[in-house]
Amino acid sequence: MAEKRGISEKIAELDRLSEWFYSDDFRLEEATAKYKEAMKLAKEIESDLAEMKNEIEVLAEDFSK
Amino acid sequence: MSDLAGPAAAYSPAHAGAGVPQAASPAGDAPCFTPSDFVAVVNQTLEYAYASVLVTGEVASFKVNQGKWVFFDIKDEETSVPCFMSVWGLRQPLEDGMKVVVRGTPKLTKWGKFSLTVTKVAPVGEGSLKKAYEMLKRKLADEGLFDPARKRGIPERLTRLGVISSTQAAGYADFVKIINARWGGMKVSVAHTQVQGMDAPDQIIRALQYFNERGDVRMIALIRGGGSADDLSCFNDEKLVRAVAASKIPVICGIGHEVDESLCDLAADVRASTPSNAAEMLTPDKMAVRARLMTEMGGMALAVKNAINAMLGGLGAKSADWKRVICAKIDQNAALVQQKWKLIAALNPERVLERGYAIIAGDKSPGGVVKITTFTEEIEAKIVKIQERKVQDGGKEGN
Repeated sequence: MAEKRGISEKIAELDRLSEWFYSDDFRLEEATAKYKEAMKLAKEIESDLAEMKNEIEVLAEDFSK
Repeated sequence: MSDLAGPAAAYSPAHAGAGVPQAASPAGDAPCFTPSDFVAVVNQTLEYAYASVLVTGEVASFKVNQGKWVFFDIKDEETSVPCFMSVWGLRQPLEDGMKVVVRGTPKLTKWGKFSLTVTKVAPVGEGSLKKAYEMLKRKLADEGLFDPARKRGIPERLTRLGVISSTQAAGYADFVKIINARWGGMKVSVAHTQVQGMDAPDQIIRALQYFNERGDVRMIALIRGGGSADDLSCFNDEKLVRAVAASKIPVICGIGHEVDESLCDLAADVRASTPSNAAEMLTPDKMAVRARLMTEMGGMALAVKNAINAMLGGLGAKSADWKRVICAKIDQNAALVQQKWKLIAALNPERVLERGYAIIAGDKSPGGVVKITTFTEEIEAKIVKIQERKVQDGGKEGN
């Protein structure tokens, strides 16, 4: 089972995909598949952005002693 | 002896192990001590009554002996109290004339001299705070504590954050509100400490040690909202400033308002102007990420479109080349055809008749009838005689 990627990894992956479109590796034949992959990733990121919450824990330690 | 009645009456052997009167006084109505017991009783009484006191006044006769012991008087217009402390307890520079608050325990020495054994001392009032601040800033700057080369940045993709602040403080509430609005998915551990007063520096130092020992956060945010110069002076505590500079985990300081500057700010890896600014520096903005997604997707679509246009442009150029070649071929062939056509036209029998020749068809034997066709006439004629013709020289010319 593939490891679940965090939003930061997804954004980094999208950045990489985006860079490919401006690189010398760009091939029109592959562009449609790459664009579809990027679109799927962008939707996942958007969904993650809407759902993610911070977990804030106040430590029980007493720092006055 | 009546002046001894108060303290002696306050003293109870039930809560002390020293100072039991040796004998009744000659007068018979007052306790009698040896000098050592008397000092011990007085000290125990003082400790019972005033285990810790705060005294505010002006520093006078400040001196450090043997690099270890600090002596000074704290005074007002009428009275002066001798103070004693170790040099390690001195957390901000002192000099004569500074207004300070000291925390200490009153004590009578074995030489019968009264003094305050000081555990903490801090400047108070704008002038003294500024003076102490400038003196310590110079000292620590000379040691390189504020050197930009020492500073580390905010880690990318921050997922674990330690926060040191008072959870009751408005600055902390602003900080939490902003990180929650801007980003998510972070695990934030909050060490609740005092962020003002004489005890704040030690509490903050313990929290820094806690995070450094645990090592599970990648950045520590030291947060405190605005306040007076006195309120914020704990962030100029020498030991705290050194702890911030020595932290293995990068520290961001967001203390006070934009105009405030503390020595912790200068020693930290990252300085934020306020707690809100610290929250902004630590977290990406969801809105900005969404905008970036749109820009990137738009850019990709544009790159594909440009590639297609470029390809079509290439085809257009090629087709023009082909057209040129084909047209040239056509022109070439057309010229050839025209040339052939002229030749064919030249061979047209009508053109031959036009030049005066005639076509003879029919029975070409003597007495036979033939049909003679000229350019303008058709003639029927009878053959009278036939004889062989000799071909003249040059008869083959024109072939």
